[in-house]
Amino acid sequence: MSPAPPTPPSRRALLRAGAGGLLGATAAGCGFMPAARPDAKALAPVRARVDGDLVYFNWADYVDPSVFRGFEKEYGVKVIQSNFDSMEGMVAKLNAGNRYDIVFPTAKWAQRLVRGGRLRRIDHSQLTNSPAVFGTYSYFADPWYDPGSAHTVPFTAYKTGIGWRRDRIGELTGSWKDLWSDKARGKVFLLDDRDEVLGMGALELGLPVSTGDTGELGRITALLSTLRPRLRGFSSDSYNNLLNGNALITQAWSGDMAAMLNQADDPSVFGFQAPKEGTPINSDCYAIPWNAPHPGTAMLFIDYMLRPENVKKNIEYIGYPMPVAGSEKVYADLVEPFPECLVTADDLKADLFFRNGGRAAEDARDSAWTHVKAG
Amino acid sequence: MALLRPSSRTRRHGAGADGSRMWAWFMLPGTLWMTGFLIASLVLVAVLAVGTTDELGNPRFGFDLAGVRALTDPAYTEVLARSLGYALLTCLICLLIAYPVAYTIALYGGRYKNALIAAIVVPFFANYLVRMYGWSVVLSDDGPVLRALRAIGLADGDTKILNTGPGVVAGLVYGFVVFMIIPLYAALERLDVSLIEAGRDLYGGPVRTFLFVTLPATRQGAAAGLVLVFLPAMGDFVSAQLMGGPDQIMIGNLIQDKFFQGQNWPLGSALTMLLMLVLLIGMFGYLRRTRKDEAEARR
Repeated sequence: MSPAPPTPPSRRALLRAGAGGLLGATAAGCGFMPAARPDAKALAPVRARVDGDLVYFNWADYVDPSVFRGFEKEYGVKVIQSNFDSMEGMVAKLNAGNRYDIVFPTAKWAQRLVRGGRLRRIDHSQLTNSPAVFGTYSYFADPWYDPGSAHTVPFTAYKTGIGWRRDRIGELTGSWKDLWSDKARGKVFLLDDRDEVLGMGALELGLPVSTGDTGELGRITALLSTLRPRLRGFSSDSYNNLLNGNALITQAWSGDMAAMLNQADDPSVFGFQAPKEGTPINSDCYAIPWNAPHPGTAMLFIDYMLRPENVKKNIEYIGYPMPVAGSEKVYADLVEPFPECLVTADDLKADLFFRNGGRAAEDARDSAWTHVKAG
Repeated sequence: MALLRPSSRTRRHGAGADGSRMWAWFMLPGTLWMTGFLIASLVLVAVLAVGTTDELGNPRFGFDLAGVRALTDPAYTEVLARSLGYALLTCLICLLIAYPVAYTIALYGGRYKNALIAAIVVPFFANYLVRMYGWSVVLSDDGPVLRALRAIGLADGDTKILNTGPGVVAGLVYGFVVFMIIPLYAALERLDVSLIEAGRDLYGGPVRTFLFVTLPATRQGAAAGLVLVFLPAMGDFVSAQLMGGPDQIMIGNLIQDKFFQGQNWPLGSALTMLLMLVLLIGMFGYLRRTRKDEAEARR
């Protein structure tokens, strides 16, 4: 005879344990409540001086490692690195109270952080190399995402265009309509990115790239539904898709195309064009969170990164251009096969950045994206 | 020790209050873990499903049914139905692949049994995402597989494997087949071989013996495997992302989009709850079925 099975604990005991768990859940949920606003002192600019090791938070592989080593050696501090894999993840960690000295939000997210009072102000006069940025690239002296660049310093800028296989489908016409090319039918990719895909449709129809208007979004989804049968997929891995032949033509970020130049045996089989209807622009920036433990070191780091020799190293390492006077030639040499990767002052003036919308506009865009993607 | 044994035995049989308390303590860590990380996050998702977002897209607690109402959009039903279809198909294919494998290893593996099972399990230690990414490179249009097929004339320039429905299902099968093999192997391993011999002695042919002796005896293993494959396959987004095209989007992809690109956490949470509901109905059916099986087995 087998031993009798053990008696399970009473239902009441389980309920008691469960109640404890729920209490924990409620506490964790407080993260979604409006957080305490930092006081003015926490947001005041600080002097650039060593006040501890640098706690650095960025995309992986987005700075040349030799630049870190140089900074550590010169100032006698350590760079403590961690990485994020999405803007959403970065902001979630900041909101959860993690403390970093320097973060790198994109324009749209910088605006959210600035508006939410999450960034410390930056005194440009403390940065000896800042005139090379703000003096030449006047756009960034007063960008839409951070009036007066009071909390940020631009890091890289890039645009969205079309990458294609010259060897398979020849030359293009310089328009977004090229994505509908019959020669590429079935081997067309769009970026897996809501703003980029809706923005491309908007540019072709002559509408604002960040439109949240239901009628305009309806026209965009109708236009994109004619592209859908020709489409092979939504993927942001554009350079691999071109390299391994899955894509003959794809929406692509200029920085990825520049990075591809290192990977391809023969770059001449590829092309990159910035369509004439307009190309979305994006940028990211240096920012110091309000609760940064060592804001002084962060200021030194920004200044160090803006030194011409370090700008050069970083451009060559990551393949993205930087709005720093004197670095244009470095980037132009790097992307010589794809001259349209360059982000010019005219590109910036066209101002085709994706903006934050209000609640209703964001919901409308979200719903339009679901229909484009799910068909 | 020897003195204690009789008393502990009587206690066990009596299943008194003390024994119950001891088992309750054993369950405490597991219960805390599950309530802390599973139930609590579920509650959070349920609450967020009726929450709102602020002007900057950050989720906020509140009461707003917009997320739940958005579920009536036919696009979601269609994608959910597709995911259900893919997951069921994946289960069926996994069963057909796993049964012979588990059968062969359990009954004919001899002293290599453990080595063979290890050979199946060890590759699954590598991250699923990495393995799928590898497949997407191998199966790409200019990748080794299609290039070889073209060289021997089995494929032409238009043949593609990636970004197709079969591609996505193949990815799911590859990703989860091991969850079917293990429970089936355990069931077949426990199977008393003399039952099969008895079947043969009673003039059952190999097919009849298999259908009326082996299969019923391992039904519970198969049921466990089906659940273990179905649940992750239904919510998967990696396979559709890497192996699928625009017409193969699964519900997992849409949920991921709501949390990331859309920054619409309430709708993402509502979608998650809908998916949970579908899975719960499936689990309920499974539990009823196994309870019936157990009752039958006891008779």
